[in-house]
Formats: sequence, C-alpha cells, structure tokens
Amino acid sequence: MGKGGRHAYAAISLLAAGALALTGCSEGGSKEGSGDNKDKENAARQQSSIDFGDAKASMGPAAEVSGAKPGGTVTVLQRDSYAHLDPAQIYVSDEGSLSSILHRGLTGYKATSDDGSKHEVVGDLATDSGTTTDGGKTWKFTLKDGVKWADGSEITSTDVRHTFERLFAPFVTNGPTYIQQWLANTPGAAYRKILKDGPYKGKHLPDSILDTPDDKTIVFKFKEAKPDLPYALAMAGYGIVSEKKDTKAKYDKAPMTAGPYKIKDFKSGKSMTLVKNTNWDPKTDPIRHQYVDQFNFVFNKQYEDSTKALLDDSGENATSISFNNQVDAGNLSKVLADSSLKSRVVSGYQPYVGQMNINLSQKEMQDKKVREAIAYALPVTPFVRAYGGAQAMEVAGGLISPTVSGYNPNFDPFGKKKKPAGDPEKAKQLLKEAGKENLKLTFGYINTPEGQQYSTAMAAGLEKAGFDVQRQEIPAETYYDQVSKVKNNYDIFHTAWGADWPSASTVIPPLYDGRQIQDGASNYSHINDDKVNADIDRINKITDPVKAAEEWNKVNEYIVKNVVSNVPTAYYKQTQIAGSKIGGLVYDDVLGGVDPRRLFVK
Amino acid sequence: MTSPTKAEGSGPAVALDPELAATTETVQVKELVGRSPGQLMWIRFKRDRAGVTSACIVLFFIAIGLLAPVISKLYGKDPYTVYADERPELFDSAGVPLHPNGGISSEFWFGLEPGNGYDVFTKLLYGIRNSLGISVAVTVATVLTGVLLGIAAGYLGGKVDFAISRVVDFLLAFPSQLFFIASMPVVVSLFVDPKDETPVYVRVVALIAVQWFLGWMSLARILRGTTLSLAGREFIEAAKVSGAPPWRIIRKEILPNVVTPILVQSTYMLPAFVTAEAGLSFLGVGIVEPTPDWGQMFSKASTELVMQNDITYMFFPGISMIIFIVAFNLLGDSVRDAFDPKTAR
Repeated sequence: MGKGGRHAYAAISLLAAGALALTGCSEGGSKEGSGDNKDKENAARQQSSIDFGDAKASMGPAAEVSGAKPGGTVTVLQRDSYAHLDPAQIYVSDEGSLSSILHRGLTGYKATSDDGSKHEVVGDLATDSGTTTDGGKTWKFTLKDGVKWADGSEITSTDVRHTFERLFAPFVTNGPTYIQQWLANTPGAAYRKILKDGPYKGKHLPDSILDTPDDKTIVFKFKEAKPDLPYALAMAGYGIVSEKKDTKAKYDKAPMTAGPYKIKDFKSGKSMTLVKNTNWDPKTDPIRHQYVDQFNFVFNKQYEDSTKALLDDSGENATSISFNNQVDAGNLSKVLADSSLKSRVVSGYQPYVGQMNINLSQKEMQDKKVREAIAYALPVTPFVRAYGGAQAMEVAGGLISPTVSGYNPNFDPFGKKKKPAGDPEKAKQLLKEAGKENLKLTFGYINTPEGQQYSTAMAAGLEKAGFDVQRQEIPAETYYDQVSKVKNNYDIFHTAWGADWPSASTVIPPLYDGRQIQDGASNYSHINDDKVNADIDRINKITDPVKAAEEWNKVNEYIVKNVVSNVPTAYYKQTQIAGSKIGGLVYDDVLGGVDPRRLFVK
Repeated sequence: MTSPTKAEGSGPAVALDPELAATTETVQVKELVGRSPGQLMWIRFKRDRAGVTSACIVLFFIAIGLLAPVISKLYGKDPYTVYADERPELFDSAGVPLHPNGGISSEFWFGLEPGNGYDVFTKLLYGIRNSLGISVAVTVATVLTGVLLGIAAGYLGGKVDFAISRVVDFLLAFPSQLFFIASMPVVVSLFVDPKDETPVYVRVVALIAVQWFLGWMSLARILRGTTLSLAGREFIEAAKVSGAPPWRIIRKEILPNVVTPILVQSTYMLPAFVTAEAGLSFLGVGIVEPTPDWGQMFSKASTELVMQNDITYMFFPGISMIIFIVAFNLLGDSVRDAFDPKTAR
C-alpha cells in the first residue's frame, strides 16, 4: 500500500467490511434425522454375504433396469485421467469403474438387488463362477459360446492363458498379484521367476499350473487350496487380454475390449469417447447393459467443479455424471439437505475402514490396560467431522467393513457407537489401575487440513482421560512410508485399509499377520499374536465362503476386543450426484461408486 | 549538556526537524512557558482527532490482549475446549453449528467455530493476544537491532560502516516471505526432540527469530543516514573536543535526536509484522491449531466448510484485523505528523 493513499484505502476497506457484515448472516448446519433408519439399513446390508452363483445365475442377459430406454449420450466428469487401460495394470477404483463397461473377466459381480447392495459372483465369460472338486486346489472354468472381442473374433482359452502368462512380464507392475503368487506358490514378488519374460519369448506356464485342454476350458492348479479364486478373478486387474492384439506395454493406451463399449478416442489428460461395441452379445452377459449410445469423458474436473456443474443441471449438465468424483465436503450438507435433489443423489460405502493403530513395539503400549484406556478414551467424532460428517464417515465397531462378508453391525466392544466422543471416565480408571497416569503418548498425524483438525480434537479427548499427548506431524506424501517403518517413534497413528474383494481374506492376513512385520508392510500395529497367526492359516483353507466369513469376523472381534492393537474409527462413505436426465442411478457397494453398467438417458 | 534544539536558539534546528525550533519560538512568545519537544508533540497529537481515536482503538486492542485470560475467566470458557465433543447437541455431524449465524447465542457470544467447535470469542481474544505479543516482540527486537547497528554504522564509519551496510544490502535482497516459509520448519525442527510435540514456545521463538532476521534492515539504514548527518554537526564536534567517549556521545547526543524516526518507523512496522505473522499462520507455517492465532482463524475461515456453511465466522477475525491495522496505520501517520508537522505527505 503506497503511503499517499493510506486514508482513502482505510475508508474504502472499512466500508466494504461494513457492507459484508450486513449480508454476512449464515444459516445453521443441516438438521439430520435420527440414526435409527440408517442403522437398520446397515443391518440389512450386512446380510448380503456374497455367494458364488451357478450356471443358471451366470446366464445372460442381465435383468432389465425399470424404465430404461436405449440411446443418448452421457458426459462423464472425472478428476483424474486414466493412467492405465490394460487390465493387467488396473488396480485403483476409478479405473475399476471404467473397466466394468470396457473389459470382461472369467467371473464378475452380478447385482441381485436394484439398490446395488446385494451381489453374487457369477461366471462372466465363463459359464459359471468356477467348479472345484478338491476343496479349492483345482479350479475349472468353461468359456461361454458366442463370446467375442470387439473386432468380432472369438474369445478362446488361448486368450485366457495369454492373459495370465503376461502378468509375469516385467512391464506389468501395477495390477493385483494374488493369482500370480498363488500359481507360483510364493509370497512377495518372487512369483516373477517362474516365467521371467511372460509368454513373449515362447515359454509358457506348464500344464501342471495352468491347463487349457481345449478351446473352451481353463484349469487352474494350485499347490494349496485357494477358495477365494472366483472373487480374485472378478477383479478388474484380471480382465481378459487378446492374444492376437496384444501390443505389450502399448496395450495400456489402446486395449482390445470385450465389454459393451469400446474406446473410440482417448486423449490422455483431456478426454475420452466410448461407443457401443456391436460385437458384444447381451445374451452372454449377466452383468452389463448397453443402453447409452456414447460416453464422453472429460478429465481434470475437481470435486468442486463436477459438483457445481451437476448442481447447475442445465443443457449438457443434465445428462452428465461422474463415475468417481464425490460431492465435495463443503457442499455435502447443502446437497443432502435439499430434498429436490434426492432422486439424483446416491450415497454408499467405500471399501475403506479407518483404524487407530497402537504401536505394540513401544514398551509402554505393551500394557493391555493402557491400550484399553486408549480404546475407551479415543473420540471418533473428530475424525467423522473432519471428513464432512455422518454422510462421509460412519462410526465403526470392528475392522471389517459393511461391504465385506462377515460384517457384524452389533459388534462394538468399546461403546463407540453410543459414545462416539469417547468415554474418558472409564479410560481414566483403567489408566489408574495400570498406574500409568499422565503417560506420554506420541500421536503421529498426517499433515493435511483434515489430519490437523481431527488430531487436535482427538488429543483433547485423550488428555481428558489423563494421557499426555504429544502430536507429531508427518508429511502427507510420505505418511504411509513413515508409519510402515518397523522402527518409528509413534505410539498411535491412523491408517485406512480397503478390501480387494468382499472377503476379509484381503483384510485380516495383510494387516494382522504377525509374521509379516517388516519395513513397508501393512501390519502397522506390529501385532504378533499366536492365536491370530494360527487362525489365519486355518481360515485360509476353508472353502465355504460363508463359513470363512464368519470365522474371519471372529478373528476381527478377537483383535479388537482381546488384543486391542487397533481401534476401529470409521467406515468411509461417499455421496455422488448426477444430472436429472440420468436414469438407472445406483450406488454399487462392490465398485465403491456409481454403477456405470446400468445407466440410461431419460 | 543541553539539548541541541535549545542550544542552537532560533537558528535552523537539526537536519531532522528544520521547523521544530521555529514553532517552539512562536508558542513560547504567546504563552511564555517552556516546553520540551516531547510536550509540543503531545499537544499537536491531541489536536489530531483521527490520531486520538486510532490511539484509543489500538490501546483497546492491547488491553483486551493483555486481559484475555481475565476476560475469558469471567466469561467462563477457554479457546481449547472442543465443544463439538462436549456439547454435541449444538452441532451437526460435520461440526457445523446448528443454530444460525455460526451458533451465536447468549452463551457463545461470537458463535462456535465450524469443525472442532472452539468458542470464537475466547479464540479471538487469545488470537489477538498471541499475534500482538509476537509482533510486539519482533518490533522490539528489530528496533533494538536496527538502532544499535544503524547508529554504529553511521557514527563509527569506515570499515564498520562498510561491513554493516553490506550485510544490510545482502539481507534486503532476500525474498522475505519465501524465506519465512522455507525456514520456519527448519528452525522449528532444530529445537525439538523427535518423541515430543513441537512446543508452542518453539514456534513462537522461531516466528520471532525469522521475522527479526529480515526485519531490522530498513530501520538500520534510516538511522545510519540520520547519524551520518548528525555526526558532522558542531555539537557533536564540541562533545568530541571536550573529551566525551563515543558511547556517551551516542547515548546523550545522537540517540535523543533519532527518537522521531524510531517512533515513526516502529508504528509502521508493528502492523506490518502483525499481518506478516498472520500470513505465516494462514499458510500453515506459523502458529498451528489448537493454539489460537489471528492468521490461523483466517485460514480456517477460508476452508470450503466455513465458506459454504457459516460465512459469519469470517467476520470476527476479518473485521477485528481490518480495524486494528487501519487504526495502527492512522496512528503511525498521526505520530509522524505530530513530530514533524511541516513535512509534506
């Protein structure tokens, strides 16, 4: 500010401030209904243990969506451009959503209800979800008749063999690694040794591992029982790749597809156009529809931008949607409070479960009473608030998400659902019994605005119980690297984990197997409990998914209640919005977002 | 030894205030009472209504800053209580106050902060206290350094002058805001045990240190120039000839003659430091939650949550800071006018 104009500036700024003050009234926060309905709904959702469907369930076409009509163009507003289109490289959820209308796999999730909450695993390209006669060691799949690539050529077992053999090639680095490890029967990255260059130099997996006796049949042979194979095969990362059209690393930008849509045009970072695949036969597909003529993707739309455009709802915006963008936290309560938006807003769970890890390598944390005191004292409400409230985070009881089979909504050993702000009295008493009042507790938090907000309030809650909380910021970019070091300074820190398929076998073993404690591993709390380790080995062999889910939940309850190494905080949720002319809008729990397979233009 | 103004009688006064002595003369003729330059300045200042008003406002801010603990004790709340957990019935699940206008009520006079639900009234009081305290400390440190080095350079001359002037030039070339942002985390990490939380005082000391480090040069430069012109004057020569040691000359002869630029400069510097401190906290490198701070309230106010749901919140830190900065700048102008009435602006 120049010296000459000081008085004038002062007058203007005061006036402006006054004018703003007059208009500066704001309404209060959203008035929320009681939580009863929500709880019931959740209770209903947990029943949806996902079964393996038989040949009848695997037959196409998929059940009609009520009111659906063909035609029209849908604009898709996305934040991130797609880094990978090659199925073998797809792991992240936004690419997974795209893959659901582009690629096909041996198995897939068929929605069995109209609200996206119930699913079963059925055969997609295969006639059923797989048959095994020896408890999960040998799995046989048969391809359906009339399944074709987008260029009209037949999909054969050679393509399937090629799909799995190329997963061992060095350029495949981003996808899931479950089936590769199972085939090679080794943990970690050692599986690559059995087929170093993939199928490209003439070598193939032996028939004792992967057998394709004829054009239609594929047999997986594992050394140990792998009852979860149908789930794993349904992952986007195990979508089928064409042997003839395989361009190795270049396939990532222009893949051959088999789903109801094919890529007409893709400008990375800018736009993408999908058009109908005329060689896709609905009679072979129990999962997907092909109502919309064309999808136009626009990238680089931040959450605020896409929310603004979809709220605007004029012209092209009325037929717009975002597969993966959420309503931004600032607009969330406004969007949910507006009853006129109800028909075009969907909410649902993401697969992540938040948990506060108690670092068992720290001496003071080895006292169970202290851990129980933390579990009772820790307020969860700050975490829920920081991410936008009850519509973004639901207070958790256990470590298994509502989207995973075996979830028990009534499990809540520390009374977090009744007292989400913590129970300092009880904690104080426990701490007194342990003789550790004023115990120093180093709390590593992620240095984001949300992390700062919830960590201060959590610290305030823990201090009420008599802890001496030392908050330490950890840069967001290296947060997981730092907390996954075996030697770290933190007593408690928060992490989240999402299941790869709706079975706790992708949750409990990676997070709580004591034999996996090493730098970079995801056993953040360093729990090494003999009973948990033995249970993991035992349950991994159970072939009945329903029984396995029950058993996994028992391990979960044992960890939370008896070991107290991880305090569950919240199940992640999200809310999405679509234009008013989009029909068939449903939040799919398995995809963790809007279901693109059933959309139509009204 | 008399003050140079009196010693020189009706002749032209020191280079700083060429008109001061003349004014003194006319007043003396009318009322026939002796007044020191300080008294004259005070008389002139009292006539300046804008100056007196802004002085009152500034004093008010300083008073509430000093009395913040007393006020919040009488009011019965503190800025650290997470009301969103203590009184959940007042908030929705995202931490937005349910009552309109940010939850303003007879209980919470300025409402509640969206998010963790801190009490805005006490938070603002303590925010003012902390921000002002830091800025006053920076100003005092800067003025002391500036005076010491500026006068030393001007009076001693030669190699000392050369050395100090080059350091000043060098430091002036630093982009200060960038330097603050880059050096704050480094300075903080120098002092903290990796097992412990960064104590608030470390952040405060670091804030004061980095602002002081790049804040003293302008004053030093001005004082060097003033001292240089004073050093050649007769009364200094006379003092030297009569055998006064340099320290005594600086103290008794030079310092009284540079009080005006020091006062005027520091009244300009203080509000600048307040905004700089607020800026650093706004950017997240200064004072962080839960310690209340003016700038940090702004950064809270600029989040989507507050912008979309509780715009009222922004007006408490916003208006209070505008009033304070405007008042302090006007006060600075008035102080200068009172010391130096004939200088064109």
